[in-house]
Amino acid sequence: MRGFELVHPASLGEAIKLLDTDDPTVRPFSGGTALMLMMKAGVFQPSRLVDLGGIEPEHAAVEATGDGGLKLGAMATLAQVERSADVMRVAPVIPRAMKRLANVRVRNVARIGGNLAHGDPHMDLPPVLSSLGGEVAVTGPAGERRIAIESLFSGYYETVLSQGELIRQVILPPQRGWASAYMKCTTRSADDWPALGVAVSLKLTDGAVQDSRIMVSAATEKLTRLAAAEAALEGAQPGEAAFARAADAAATEAETIDDARGSAEYKTELLRVYVKRALAEAVRNGAVQ
Amino acid sequence: MNVMRPMPAGQVGRSVPRLEAREKVTGRADYVHNLVVPGMLYTKVFRSTVPHGRIVSIDTSAAEAVEGVYRVVTGEDIRKVVPEPYYGPAFHDQPVLALDKVRHVGEPVAVVLAEDPYVAAEAVQLITAEYEELEPVFDEVEAVTSRAVVHEVLKPAGTFPDLKHLVGRRDTNVALDYQLRRGDVDAAFAAADRVFEHEFRTQQTMHTPLEPMVSLAIPGHESLTIHTASQSPSFVRIEIARLLGWPENRVRVVVPHLGGGFGAKLYIKLEALVACLALLVRRPVKLSLTMEEQFYTISKHASTFRIRSSVKDGKITGRRCEVFWNGGAYADIGPRVTQKSGFTAPGPYDIDNVSIDSYALYTNRPPAGALRGFGIPQLVWAYESHTDLIARELEIDPVEFRRNNILREGREQATGTAMKDAAIEAVLEDIVARMDWSKPFDRGTGPLRRGRGIAIGFKASISPTTSVAIVNVYGDGSSSLYLSTVDMGQGSDTAMAQIVGETLGIETENVKVIHPDTDVTPYDMATLGSRSTFHMGNAVKLAAQHARDQLDALARSLGLPPGTNYGPKDLFKKKYGMQAGNIVGVGSYIPDYKSPDPATGLSDNVTPFWMIGGTGVEIEVDTETGHVRILRMVNAVDCGRPLNPKIVETQLSGAALMQLGFTLFENMEYDNGQVTNASFADYKIPGIHDLPARIENDIVEAEQKSGPYGAKGVGESATFGVSPAIANAIHDAVGVRLTEMPLTPEAVFRAIRAQKG
Ligand SMILES: Cc1cc2nc3c(=O)[nH]c(=O)nc-3n(C[C@H](O)[C@H](O)[C@H](O)COP(=O)(O)OP(=O)(O)OC[C@H]3O[C@@H](n4cnc5c(N)ncnc54)[C@H](O)[C@@H]3O)c2cc1C
Repeated sequence: MRGFELVHPASLGEAIKLLDTDDPTVRPFSGGTALMLMMKAGVFQPSRLVDLGGIEPEHAAVEATGDGGLKLGAMATLAQVERSADVMRVAPVIPRAMKRLANVRVRNVARIGGNLAHGDPHMDLPPVLSSLGGEVAVTGPAGERRIAIESLFSGYYETVLSQGELIRQVILPPQRGWASAYMKCTTRSADDWPALGVAVSLKLTDGAVQDSRIMVSAATEKLTRLAAAEAALEGAQPGEAAFARAADAAATEAETIDDARGSAEYKTELLRVYVKRALAEAVRNGAVQ
Repeated sequence: MNVMRPMPAGQVGRSVPRLEAREKVTGRADYVHNLVVPGMLYTKVFRSTVPHGRIVSIDTSAAEAVEGVYRVVTGEDIRKVVPEPYYGPAFHDQPVLALDKVRHVGEPVAVVLAEDPYVAAEAVQLITAEYEELEPVFDEVEAVTSRAVVHEVLKPAGTFPDLKHLVGRRDTNVALDYQLRRGDVDAAFAAADRVFEHEFRTQQTMHTPLEPMVSLAIPGHESLTIHTASQSPSFVRIEIARLLGWPENRVRVVVPHLGGGFGAKLYIKLEALVACLALLVRRPVKLSLTMEEQFYTISKHASTFRIRSSVKDGKITGRRCEVFWNGGAYADIGPRVTQKSGFTAPGPYDIDNVSIDSYALYTNRPPAGALRGFGIPQLVWAYESHTDLIARELEIDPVEFRRNNILREGREQATGTAMKDAAIEAVLEDIVARMDWSKPFDRGTGPLRRGRGIAIGFKASISPTTSVAIVNVYGDGSSSLYLSTVDMGQGSDTAMAQIVGETLGIETENVKVIHPDTDVTPYDMATLGSRSTFHMGNAVKLAAQHARDQLDALARSLGLPPGTNYGPKDLFKKKYGMQAGNIVGVGSYIPDYKSPDPATGLSDNVTPFWMIGGTGVEIEVDTETGHVRILRMVNAVDCGRPLNPKIVETQLSGAALMQLGFTLFENMEYDNGQVTNASFADYKIPGIHDLPARIENDIVEAEQKSGPYGAKGVGESATFGVSPAIANAIHDAVGVRLTEMPLTPEAVFRAIRAQKG
């Protein structure tokens, strides 16, 4: 019977060395909640798993930065992020989203890095973190680089990470003055994978929308930033009329896809409704002080 | 009984906590999944990838070459143990492993046996098969006339007189054509004020017991023991003995706890396969399915129901029902669903002229069988949607319209059997009262619109069936109950022990229930169709009475006066001079029954009892997205006198929530016969967040006079009304009618859009 090798490096550097091969059956393993399902279903058969559990503890740190932003170590569990006082203060939209992300058992083991690296467009954190302007610090054999989360995904279950590259940290810029919301919509059971996820962030200055980030996930092949919707909002007074214009722009520009959760056509209509609702909710939530 | 009892009666009607609860929550309960025996081989099944085809060749060589593989077995090998390896409760149509043809994707074609389950799993992936593909048929209505024929010849099992006329019938997918004729429907239609006709459809769904099917067979000296998660141990023994040509006493079937059944674990599932394999290799053989494989093993019938009714002066005067049941590739118990549920297709209404045609169809989907309600939820979905539509058209309040037409006590149901102990009106009125139906109702604002709906249904108990029970009183006065009813989570152990407790005057908690073991426990037809409380309950009561009578006789023979304060323990001691001996009480029960006339479907005694259930809901529809939220759900049933009110309540909420999943989103989706969502990641069942905001479960005041202590079955009754109540409420809220399940947000959204034009 074919087995596989499970290795436990003690440092990030060592992990990168162990991953430095062209062989796609050599993969990092953080919480394992996504990987094990793929292995059980037979869609992924590893030759070597590199367990990141033993690398330097700093990679699991969750902390506020001096300028009003956040740093989330890739090995931080979702539960750790959910319960962090710093996260609650700087980006309350994250703990709110966590409440409906999987369940307590999964959140206790799944890691931020694994959630982003998996490339599944149904995940909740990619839209949330990208709407907050988040970036990932990525380390690999060729050194370190930064990638905006909105550009991390290249397709359905695909990322721009190359073999051997590891997400080390998530960096969120200062959130002062930004109001955010995340809404997901399921069409079967309440705990189903979403048919649609919409994350919005607005910067309101003198009663007008100065800047915005609007992200759609799940209904599209990959996480997508809705530039036309954002343009429709620029300089507008927040309110029903402006939100409806943004929603229509979103519905026109997003390339939704068919699946068991709904037709592309229906998801476009859901998107139109949910962009409006998410914008209104962001305003209700108010800007981070 | 004259012998004084240590405590007064009062065991029945008490919410005794479930006897096995502690064992289960502390992880001590035994399940077949945990059973390992020395020398055991694990099995992994190689399954068909085509929906319909002739097997050209099977290549097992690569699998056989894998280190650790003990043996690879195909259908032809099975013939060495059983020359005619076809099984089934109604038709002998299902091969142990595919022979000549495959009839659905996922059909077992070959198996790998290995000491290590992972070796078996890996080797099975190396098996290949070549098929000459045949045209498949998937839809139940198309199957009636399709060129594709699933079984060339029909092979009814011969045990059912009403299937005799089907013997040898060729080139048809109609496995059973049941009919009922009462009065003159055409005349009623001709004389009516209005005639209404609709078609309703339901989708195929799955039972999803959290414990997937599992069986383990151990060969012995001219004998075989099968440990299996089965709802029908007696049937398994009889059918395996028939296949092997052995007497029943050489086959032993043992059933511990089950992790849910819901009808999935009835008749033969894995037992014939492990039995043949164990005899072939002379070693214990175990097969544990994965959740994914269950989707290819058994399911709930998809259906199409065409219903046409005539109304005159607000009364339904005639009804024609045509029901098509999608039975999949093997009949399983489908023909029974077609007939035993089919005759209630006109609903709980007093209609003089009725015509029913109910067809069991073979198709190239995974087989369909019994699932909590035995076809009734599919029927109620149609007739209660239809009832509401008629009321709307006639501008009569839907409750009022039901009152005008309801089938009252003493009136004849379509078969000609008079309704007895059937609280249909009480169930309807209970829901109406709870929902304050006559009061104004908040219809919502903005995009959120509210509506409410009611639906009621009924079911006849499958008949005639037998149950036998044994009560053994030991030398110290303690006692055990031996029965083959399977407690798969419904609480039957507790309820049956309560009957013993009540009859013998002892505490329920002190009655030990011996789980099914056909070497030890007596015959029972099966744990299905809510039949156990009534049938086995009566047998248990008779067995306990028999024991009690013998204790009385013992007391008399010892010269003790009536009303003696000698307990059973003292009687034994007095008789034997020491703690010794025992008294065995036996009870056997079969109700009276008259089988329906084959031509008309009529009988004046078609069932020993009726189950009644209804549901009312208040819902909110998000008109912008089509989402439906259940604000309130009221379920009411007639279950006679509840033996254990708490267990009844959990049966009601469990049944209603299960049906809620089938109503709103559960759906086996297909791509050319392949189930594309065969896993819990993609086939969603209700979770805690899908519960109605408020749920009320009511037991109406009633008594089943022929039942044990006035009780009857209740495991399915709360499924009946759920689907049409919700569809009726959606119609009430937003003015659109859905006629096909599931009622997904997208379906609601599209209907709203279509209505707006
Ligand atoms: C029952 C259940 C329900 C769920 N529900 C939700 C939900 O509602 N919303 C939601 O968003 N998610 C949900 N998930 C998914 C869950 O969030 C992901 O499985 C989890 O976040 C993945 O993290 P992990 O640490 O377990 O990743 P792993 O399984 O360890 O890894 C996932 C992938 O990322 C790679 N990887 C891991 N760490 C790194 C790294 N640091 N750098 C580069 N690559 C890396 C691995 O090689 C693998 O390819 C659910 C999962 C389950 C099992």
